Amino acid sequence: MKLGNLIRAGVLCTLLMSIFLGIVSSTPAQAQGQAEDQAELRIATSYKLMTLDPHFANLNENTSLLSHIYERLVYQDEKLELKPGLATSWRPLSDTRWEFKLRENVRFHDGSEFTADDVGYTIERIRDVLKPPSGGFRSYVSGIKAISAPDPLTVVIQTNAPVPNLPLFFSSIFVMNRPSEGYQTTEDLNTGRSSIGTGPYRFESWSSGERLRLARNDSYWGDKSAWPTVSFRVVENPAARVAALSTGEVDVADAIPARDVASLKERGPRIANIGAARVNFVQFDVSRDTLPGVTDKSGKPIANPFKNPLVRRALAMATDRGVLVDKILAGYGTAAAQVFPNGLPGTSGNLTAGPPNYDEARSLLARAGFPDGFNLVLAGPAGRYPGDAESLQAIAQSWARIGVNAQPSAAPFSVFNSKRAAGEYAVWYGGTSGEAVDVILHALVASPDPERGTGALNFGKYQNAAFDAMLAKAEGIKEGPERNQALAEATELAMADQPIIPLYHFHHIVGFGPRIGSYVMHPRGWTTAMQTLPAGE
Amino acid sequence: MGMISVVTGRFLQAFLLLIAMSLIGFIGIHSVGNPVFNIVNIETATPEDIRRATVALGLDQPIWRQYLVFLDNVVSGNFGTSYIYHLPAFELVIAKLPATLELASVAMLIAAPFGTGLGLIAGRRRGTLLDRTVLRASVSALSIPSFWLAMMLILVGAILTGWFPSGGRGSTASFLGQDWSFLTANGLWHLVLPASALAIPNIALIARLSRSGTIEVENLDHTRFCRAKGLSPRRILLRHTLPNISVPIVTIIGLQFGGMLAFAVVVESIFSWPGVGKLLIDSIQLLDRPVVMATLTFIAVAFVALNALVDLFHAVLDPRVRLSSQR
Repeated sequence: MKLGNLIRAGVLCTLLMSIFLGIVSSTPAQAQGQAEDQAELRIATSYKLMTLDPHFANLNENTSLLSHIYERLVYQDEKLELKPGLATSWRPLSDTRWEFKLRENVRFHDGSEFTADDVGYTIERIRDVLKPPSGGFRSYVSGIKAISAPDPLTVVIQTNAPVPNLPLFFSSIFVMNRPSEGYQTTEDLNTGRSSIGTGPYRFESWSSGERLRLARNDSYWGDKSAWPTVSFRVVENPAARVAALSTGEVDVADAIPARDVASLKERGPRIANIGAARVNFVQFDVSRDTLPGVTDKSGKPIANPFKNPLVRRALAMATDRGVLVDKILAGYGTAAAQVFPNGLPGTSGNLTAGPPNYDEARSLLARAGFPDGFNLVLAGPAGRYPGDAESLQAIAQSWARIGVNAQPSAAPFSVFNSKRAAGEYAVWYGGTSGEAVDVILHALVASPDPERGTGALNFGKYQNAAFDAMLAKAEGIKEGPERNQALAEATELAMADQPIIPLYHFHHIVGFGPRIGSYVMHPRGWTTAMQTLPAGE
Repeated sequence: MGMISVVTGRFLQAFLLLIAMSLIGFIGIHSVGNPVFNIVNIETATPEDIRRATVALGLDQPIWRQYLVFLDNVVSGNFGTSYIYHLPAFELVIAKLPATLELASVAMLIAAPFGTGLGLIAGRRRGTLLDRTVLRASVSALSIPSFWLAMMLILVGAILTGWFPSGGRGSTASFLGQDWSFLTANGLWHLVLPASALAIPNIALIARLSRSGTIEVENLDHTRFCRAKGLSPRRILLRHTLPNISVPIVTIIGLQFGGMLAFAVVVESIFSWPGVGKLLIDSIQLLDRPVVMATLTFIAVAFVALNALVDLFHAVLDPRVRLSSQR
């Protein structure tokens, strides 16, 4: 009787639910998705477009989507080699003078012709007009002294000091159209009325942090897109992106969590992935004499052990990158021994990440004077990079095997940064990306020097004069194999000293549905309509 | 006279509430971390960039001075410019308002009649199978976490059956200068799942409340007299019981509606519904203080206004309140 009641109650409950659902679902079920234009490319992206000002902040969040509208003088291809964009060729005239030949017959979306004057306007706007906090690109152009245009399709740029990788810098900068007078302000641009570039798509509409609609630029100078319109939807929740792709509401979804790849594939969408041109690493404070949280086994503070390269080497040797890559990133990562994945320009073929060697690590630690190990707090951000907080746990476990007791401490990214800047951490997990190996070495490993602008991310204040000299020499060489070789050698020298422990290069993972034939991944991690090819072509 | 003192009292309360809220919000956000690390790209910025951005945003000033500057701006109607979006903070909130308003309204339009109706019937037929079912279902609906409910709705409604879209607002139509989803079929379609996710716990809450109220009222003398007079059970239920139980129900509807406007964060995030709750949580994560403060102020004002509205309703619903204020 009791059981019967329960069952009847259950049946009634389901009935009520289905009546309820039936009432609310009175419109025909097939309406969703199909109602939209079939020719539209729909992308769910994790990158939230925060402003329409292409020079506001140097963040993938903005540049990824704005690259449909605006173009650069120079592009980086999938191997990070430079290729022509709005400039067809470039050459140094002297140590401090560069000449860029511009593409002919390029028109802005308003019909005006693209000329050298627009390049000048772009540089002036970034260098002189934009005020902080909109200063993301200033460091690329702050070394430019003068811009001249011998003819409308030639730009000569004069720099204060030699800047051999000036073309690389221009691969980050979007070219804007000089208005009839003055300079466009961020507020003007955010209204959306003057988003005029030379790119393959025209701006249609946007809503900050929500969506962006684009229409094909039919007078584009390059290959025309197959999609008449493109709509980006900002979906920050990874599960929601996966759901939208599984149900076919979008054709492309980026930043797919590695753990969802298998189930997503079962439902039909395909996956593309590539090792990111970035590195996640452990960084040591090597400058202060004592460090917060670093104690001997009895809890008494000890002198900074990370000043000793043997200790850093031992910890690197005891780090099991296999676990990070295979377990935490589910295979969608590459074990790292340097700042970019092997094979990209400027990387060294001699540096590869091996399995951990606990015995040798233990003997190194003993030689450094810590036969029993010590205690430390391993800090890191949570939810910023794929696998960040989990990595702290895994690293702590492998370090425990050589007697180093690491207590993982994860915090939200902004909290982590505030605390790191306040000197509350001794050793921490970090991540960085950049256009090229030298840009990362320049910021992450070179000695901090505000005058030369080196070591901006060298928060541990590692100093190595020999490396600084090698890097400076390499940076003075023109783009090419010789420069790459010099950078690789500088990397080898620095990594022997282990100022950081490179952990992994996580993979950018993009899923795409049946309407997409293929998706070309870029190691910089951008998500664009230009990377998609429609099915059946 | 009494009315005036009540109104001034209300305003004073609201004012103190706003001051307290702004202090707590301001200091809270400040102590979480430094927003400048979210504004410049920490992976490429130089220390000089960071320093300049800090000065430009006034973050180098002591906290009390920053607060005074903030108050000064608010008095002149300016909540500042969003650190992240570089748009006026209050405009951002207003731009997100239609999405939240329509979601909360649709959810409440489902929840209020359904919940009250279920509760009335269950209370009237106390102890029957229907009553027990409503009770059990409401306990489970109230105890499941909203993120799980939302996920299940997506799983069943979108992924397995494909009936509904899994998220987003769909197409919108312009009305009163804002974009609204409920004016288009596609937009309404997108509303179904998130509105259900918000409505289901509220149906349960309101049903329980009206059930217990009904049981209480059914045993009162006036209901018995009605019955003795020979009024039909339906008339008793709708004309006599319902008005008598409606005061607590209206109160809870007002509170829950305010809650949905402000804190439907989980549902809004999972369905990527671009509303106020999502804006608030995003801004907290990015430490976008102007937007957080603008949102919190808006929420506080909305709560105060809703409460005043609820009180007004009480007067309409309960003749005793009217009589006492006339005296």
